[in-house]
Amino acid sequence: MKILLIEDEKELAGSITEYLQKENYLCEAVLNYDDAIEKINLYQYDCIIVDITLPDGSGLDVIRALKHLKSETGIIIISARNSLDDKVAGLEIGADDYLTKPFHLPELNARVKSIIRRRSFAGTNEIIFNDIRILPEQMEVTVNGHSLVLTKKEYDLLIFFISNKDRVLTKEAIAEHLWGDEMDMADSFDFIYTHIKNLRKKIMEKDGEDYIRTIYGMGYKFSSSAN
Amino acid sequence: MKLLTRTSRSYLLISVVVFIISGLIFFRLLHDIFEKQIDRTLLEEKLLIEQTINDSDSVPDFGSVFGHMIDITILNTPHKKNEYIRDSLMYDRDLGSFASFRHLFVENTSFDRKGYTINIYKPLRESEKLIAEIVIAVALVFIFLLFLLVWVNYFIARRVWIPFYRTINNLAHYEINQDKPLTLTRSDIHEFNLLNQALEKMSKKIRQDYLNLKEFNENASHELLTPIAIIKSKLELLIQREDLDEKQLQLISAVFDATTRISKLNQGLLLISKIENNQFYQTEEINLAQILDKTLEHFEEMILHRGIVVTKNYTFFSSVNMNRTLAEILVTNLISNAIRHNITSGRIELELFSDSFSVSNTGLPLKTDPANLFERFKKSENNPDSVGLGLSIVQKITILYHMRITYTYLDGLHTLKISF
Repeated sequence: MKILLIEDEKELAGSITEYLQKENYLCEAVLNYDDAIEKINLYQYDCIIVDITLPDGSGLDVIRALKHLKSETGIIIISARNSLDDKVAGLEIGADDYLTKPFHLPELNARVKSIIRRRSFAGTNEIIFNDIRILPEQMEVTVNGHSLVLTKKEYDLLIFFISNKDRVLTKEAIAEHLWGDEMDMADSFDFIYTHIKNLRKKIMEKDGEDYIRTIYGMGYKFSSSAN
Repeated sequence: MKLLTRTSRSYLLISVVVFIISGLIFFRLLHDIFEKQIDRTLLEEKLLIEQTINDSDSVPDFGSVFGHMIDITILNTPHKKNEYIRDSLMYDRDLGSFASFRHLFVENTSFDRKGYTINIYKPLRESEKLIAEIVIAVALVFIFLLFLLVWVNYFIARRVWIPFYRTINNLAHYEINQDKPLTLTRSDIHEFNLLNQALEKMSKKIRQDYLNLKEFNENASHELLTPIAIIKSKLELLIQREDLDEKQLQLISAVFDATTRISKLNQGLLLISKIENNQFYQTEEINLAQILDKTLEHFEEMILHRGIVVTKNYTFFSSVNMNRTLAEILVTNLISNAIRHNITSGRIELELFSDSFSVSNTGLPLKTDPANLFERFKKSENNPDSVGLGLSIVQKITILYHMRITYTYLDGLHTLKISF
């Protein structure tokens, strides 16, 4: 899977690239508009992450160029400008998703995965993690072949976990994923705990393995390995 | 009290006092003049009578000569000289009642060594009547003059103060965040022009300071975004390391929490400056009931978790013309505020009317002054994690749409009401 990141902030580009590379994506980063145009003309990407404000142009123009090339690439806009206009404009000209800075890396990762999954023509876009099998279109989850009844939040949480498997997810990242960033509440962490407890219980009731680990003071990790 | 009322009233009061005092003096003077006149007549009559007594032994009937009562008594013995004039009250046969008279009394001895007394009574009726008529006439003229002067004064003052009231009106309607500086209309009165110039200069300075502050706020929040994003991303990479021990995780966690707070704070400030800059200019008809319900659904778990009972009373499904994002932020902040400051097993009451909506919640009484409720960074002690910008943002939104927000606390129920 090839990803192109267009982000003028070098350090941020570095972080994103590093995070995504661990997912075995081939992630290239360019720092400006000209390089971006050059890259999209030369190569095919599965997903492009583009910042709207670039030193020598607009990210929106990169999207227009992509659409002009009749590219099927998935596009995620990342922008510091949390303005609805940008969002509407971006989505109108063909972007698939929009993320406001500052965002959590696991969130970006989950969005990238979701887009790639939706765009894959491999026939099936199911998510498989050991004994857990998810059909995103039907929102169906099975553990060891047993159907699992989850609430919307538990389902979202499970997808988020699996998208970021073997990664430490902070409580903030989980809270923001489940409730959005207007949830300015310390007690949302209690709900994360409740949801995780319920999810864990439901999976184990179907003889599934307990993959959720608590990382002291930090958050949680969804992992099949013992540590 | 209005300036005009005040000056007119003072004017009237002073005029009346002056009128009464000068009236009394005038009356006194008039009275004295008349008295002197009467006394002179009395003395002339007396001289005539005395002359007659000295010239002859007979005493003619002077009463029919002078037309008023004269009483002359001739004594056989000489009499010591004595003379006075005074006011006296006597029964007047013509009138049939008591009336004032000027009374002259003389005792003396005539040339032929006979004593005599003369009493002349001159009625004051005529002169009193005359005085009364003069006083009434003068009073009428004075009252007419008084009202004329007060009215003219009022009329002139009203015209003169027009530019002043116009300036006050302009000032009252001026808002520092509107897009043009304060301009006041020129008047033909020098002092008012000076006042206007001073006000314009002052407001220009204040406006410039305000714009600078706003710009700084906006730039600072905007420029902070990237460093915050970098810190967050680096921390997220850092915690993925397998070799971190508990102590290190604790440190990172603390940094993480602080960064999250800075980030939220920054987002709040950025939002405020965007609202102030009217960057949410696109408006549409917003169905408030729908947004309220959607927001409640969003917070459903939190409400259930805290055992809060929500009652809805939508008497009118009003729609408001505003920006959708701002409407959502407004409702979200109000409801999350009502949840956050609620008590366990408390209540939230939502009311929606045609011209207002309100969010009420049970909760402990405010420890701070309700007047500070909407100020930035005013947060309650029991929620140290809250950034303290929620209600400030709510207020900014209400200001933008000229809505009115009021806070009341009654029977343990905090109510924030927004009227549009």
